[in-house]
Amino acid sequence: MISLPVLATILAMAAVTYLTRIGGYLVLRNRTLGPRATAVMEAAPGCVLIAVIAPHFVSPRPADLAALAITFLAALRLPMLAVVPIGIVAAAGLRWLLG
Amino acid sequence: MQGLVASLPVTAGFVPFALVLGAQAGQKGLSAVETPLMTGLNFAGGSEFAAIGLWTSPPHLALITAVTLMINSRHLLMGAALAPFLKTLPKRRVLPALFLMCDESWAMALADAKARGSFSLAHYMGVALPMWLAWIAFTALGAMVGPVLGNVETLGFDMAFPAIFLVLLRGMWSGFRAARPWLVSLAIAATGHLLAPGAWTVAAGAIAGLITAWLWAAPSKTGAAA
Repeated sequence: MISLPVLATILAMAAVTYLTRIGGYLVLRNRTLGPRATAVMEAAPGCVLIAVIAPHFVSPRPADLAALAITFLAALRLPMLAVVPIGIVAAAGLRWLLG
Repeated sequence: MQGLVASLPVTAGFVPFALVLGAQAGQKGLSAVETPLMTGLNFAGGSEFAAIGLWTSPPHLALITAVTLMINSRHLLMGAALAPFLKTLPKRRVLPALFLMCDESWAMALADAKARGSFSLAHYMGVALPMWLAWIAFTALGAMVGPVLGNVETLGFDMAFPAIFLVLLRGMWSGFRAARPWLVSLAIAATGHLLAPGAWTVAAGAIAGLITAWLWAAPSKTGAAA
């Protein structure tokens, strides 16, 4: 049920995440961060998330690009519970239509 | 108890995210034991979605750990913001409690501490524990359902990831100026993917965005950062 490489990865994730949780309290509680360090930390989650999905933005399939555009528009306003099915249905439908 | 009540709407909001994450994890081959182990020990949704998005068999440990660290680095700021309210508590009680600090429990704890003038550990635990338990339970449930869903590509299920990430990004949106590093990350990671697809493009894109954030944060005296 648990493989060693999977367990090692999970434990490594858990360790670095816990360090970020206690690090701010232990290290930064008595000092103020400079604007650059603050900007980097605020930008970091978004930069990583968008880098992970970047391949979808340069897909060679027109159907996938069109589905991504629809998903993007949906994500601007709708809640998660609506955006995910819209994305899935758009991708399945457009792939069926456009190949 | 009042923490528990305050927690319920947010905890209910966790359920769809947890189900989607668990289902994706199940489809990537994580078992119904491994998935809740990850979500219970890590308990930081953004990094878990990213990890599952990048998951291979066997997983790329260094890349996933680095991505997790980068996504969760915001906890450093959150912990620092909460610290002034934690001065009255001993470290041996604060350190275990911080294990449950996620975006939502932090925001609610900070609001509560400001309202009552001091941090209530009981309120915080009442808020955070249901979130944690729901996260574990519903990602485990999702992991059991995920593998049953069949061929994800033809059915369009792979579009769930960009959909989830775009919703998460909208939640982090604080104006175009602050989001400019995201565009740099996107451009570099996408270009990298076209040239030589691989896990390295995520790291390259993220780091390029962080360098941009660093350069654009404050006007440089030499003018080189414009």
